[in-house]
Amino acid sequence: MSADPIDNAALWLGPKAGLQQVIDALRRTGYTIVGPMVDQAAIVYGEIGGIEQLPRGWTDRQAPGQYRIEQTGRDTYFDYVVGPHSWKKYLFPPRLAVAAVVPLQAGWQFERPRDDPPTYAFLGVRACEIAAIRVQDRVFLEGGYVDAAYQRRRKPAFILAVNCTLAGTNCFCASMNAGPRCTEGFDLALTELENGFVIEIGSERGRSTMADCDVRPATEAERSAGVAARQRATDQQSKRMNTDGLPQLLMANLQHPRWKDVGERCLSCTNCTMVCPTCFCSSVEEVPDLNTGRIERQRQWDSCFHEEFSSLNGRPVRNEIAARYRQWLTHKLSTWHEQFGTSGCVGCGRCITWCPVGIDITEEVAALREPAL
Amino acid sequence: MPTGSTSSHRFLESLPERQRVQLEAIATRRHWPPGALLFQEGHEHENIYLLLCGHVRLDMLVPDRGRTALLTVGPGDLVGWSPLTGAQTMTATAMALEPTQALAFNGTRLRDACTEDHELGYYVMRQIVITLSERLLSTRLQLLDLFRGHEPRASSAPDLC
Amino acid sequence: MKPAVSAWETHAMRIVGIRPEIDGVATYDLAFTEQAGGDAYQFRPGQFNMLYLPGVGESAISLCGDCRAPDVWKHTVRVAGRVTQTLAGMPLGSQLGVRGPFGTGWPIDQWQGMDVVLVAGGIGLPPLRPAIYELLQRRDEFGCLTLIYGARGPRSLLYTAEFPTWQSQGLSVLTIVDRASAGWTGNQGVVTSLLERLELPNPATTAVAVCGPEIMIRYTALAAAKRGIVSERVWVSLERNMQCAVGLCGHCQLGPEFICKDGPVLRYDRVRHLLSVEAL
Repeated sequence: MSADPIDNAALWLGPKAGLQQVIDALRRTGYTIVGPMVDQAAIVYGEIGGIEQLPRGWTDRQAPGQYRIEQTGRDTYFDYVVGPHSWKKYLFPPRLAVAAVVPLQAGWQFERPRDDPPTYAFLGVRACEIAAIRVQDRVFLEGGYVDAAYQRRRKPAFILAVNCTLAGTNCFCASMNAGPRCTEGFDLALTELENGFVIEIGSERGRSTMADCDVRPATEAERSAGVAARQRATDQQSKRMNTDGLPQLLMANLQHPRWKDVGERCLSCTNCTMVCPTCFCSSVEEVPDLNTGRIERQRQWDSCFHEEFSSLNGRPVRNEIAARYRQWLTHKLSTWHEQFGTSGCVGCGRCITWCPVGIDITEEVAALREPAL
Repeated sequence: MPTGSTSSHRFLESLPERQRVQLEAIATRRHWPPGALLFQEGHEHENIYLLLCGHVRLDMLVPDRGRTALLTVGPGDLVGWSPLTGAQTMTATAMALEPTQALAFNGTRLRDACTEDHELGYYVMRQIVITLSERLLSTRLQLLDLFRGHEPRASSAPDLC
Repeated sequence: MKPAVSAWETHAMRIVGIRPEIDGVATYDLAFTEQAGGDAYQFRPGQFNMLYLPGVGESAISLCGDCRAPDVWKHTVRVAGRVTQTLAGMPLGSQLGVRGPFGTGWPIDQWQGMDVVLVAGGIGLPPLRPAIYELLQRRDEFGCLTLIYGARGPRSLLYTAEFPTWQSQGLSVLTIVDRASAGWTGNQGVVTSLLERLELPNPATTAVAVCGPEIMIRYTALAAAKRGIVSERVWVSLERNMQCAVGLCGHCQLGPEFICKDGPVLRYDRVRHLLSVEAL
């Protein structure tokens, strides 16, 4: 990502406490604001009412299989990358009733359960996360069937993006053409500087939100400082994934010895699929209410790493962990293209951070590129 | 019910012209009514057969199970190849289930012809190999018992093994 | 019925007929509990429904009746798990939920003017039966029609009472069993042997449709190729565990294919390389 389109219409919001005005403006419009906050030694997403809930002065230190946060003593609101949560927590809820059935005298009555989600404003969306949301848009909105629950949440959602001004150790969004610069898909995009924010408008909705805030056009110095800050995020990325011809390469190497190798390290714990912002596998559970007899059919997140996830005649198809890892990686980086016209990976690095044994998807791909002996 | 008959046989048709003519010259036609045995397990037999029409069952005698059907063969199939190997004791019993016609080749005569004319020998043996490998694959697929779990719980069909 | 806009929309249906087939297998006739006319029962041969027993779960079962029948959906079900076991205990008149129809069907229009060989193994015949009905309904549009049907034993053969009718309507029916029972004078062996022996007037314009265990599918396609029928003219019906039936839950994937949405009927050239990889 070399081009950094400087928006000549960029605004300046300073001092940073002014961010509260943006939150207030959104709340007045009726949005439920969710954004980053510190909880249980991690930066996660939750409901935000005021800027004091944001991770002010916090940063994160990530490595394969490692995550911790620490105080920097600086006055920053977004001086970290991504944590274990992604916005799919809201757009594709971990548990959701998709159907219900009630026993009546005359027989079963099938119902559609009420689904009245709040209208969300996502505060602090990174470029990789915008990319991930757009990937899930293809899955849930652009296939043969539209997932109505996803649509209800996604369409009205306000995206207040944040341009990264640093890169995590596990980040490789640049390789995946998914960041670190937010270029589209947002209503507003902030770049945090020392004394305030450069704000870019991405939509009419974004523009009208800023109308109620104390902002002025950003000066050229401020805009340049924004460019420099964003450049740090690109410069600091150390991980790379070579995606040249990758979909074909993976399908041509389904018997590569590396699969067995990673299969011996992988615990099949499903962490990677839970934290991955594009993973969409689910299953449906019957949940009866013993009092009323009403049965809800609840969709919940599932994972291809579960042994019984894929079965034929009641027996698992992917018995070995190596086969399941191969499914996950070839789906994410290869067959996803055929299914949805894009890669399934946005280079956010979460799978590397949250893998208990530190399996690094960029390393696995590099190894798979080596000719099998 | 098996398919209709062919006047020639795919085994012969697979050979080059010259070798096909050579074989046709030493072939005789045989026919059997339903119930007749082409050959019997454990007995000596001279001929190998290329089936032209009809339906033949092969079985083996398993002492505590009786005569156990293995498979059926029909037009286009080769049956009773043991004489070609020199071993003249048959390893199965073949019984016609319908009026059956075949081209018969005396095993010794065919072996001698192949020894005299190595080119004939090559083509005949090559086609035998192809035929036997097809039969082996079929036997393996049968052995895999692919429809186990699809059948009635109280099945009267005897187990092959 | 056209697929519902919401994948989870469930039709209330009632069992209006139960026909025991072989042990552990029965055919259920289902009708909508509410009046349903017009094209309510329409489906494409090869498609499946999700049969839903509230509180128990769902099972993907192929439609196996006549796609022009105006008043009933038929499903031949083998007891294989909790849902089908529960279904097997349900009496006539019982209610259940049905989602569907889903999936791709046999490309019968593409077979116009061709000879068609249907190869079925065991419980693989039900998904082909709607295609048989349709082919016979439109008999003049096709050349030679042949069914090669293999089962474990003579008592495992389904729908045998219909074979004489199918024969008289122009479908040649060849059955073959792995294991013969006393007195069986029919074919014994595997379906591929019958395909190897079959008279094919013109392999270049012959289509093959296969439904049965995956290994049977692979070797049938191989036998077809040896007879000059390329994989672009072989169609197969595949199976995987299904949940959402609309390509969103991820369970039924085989490589890039969602068996519920891109299948279950797929042209063989598209899946051949996928079927030969262990544990894919």
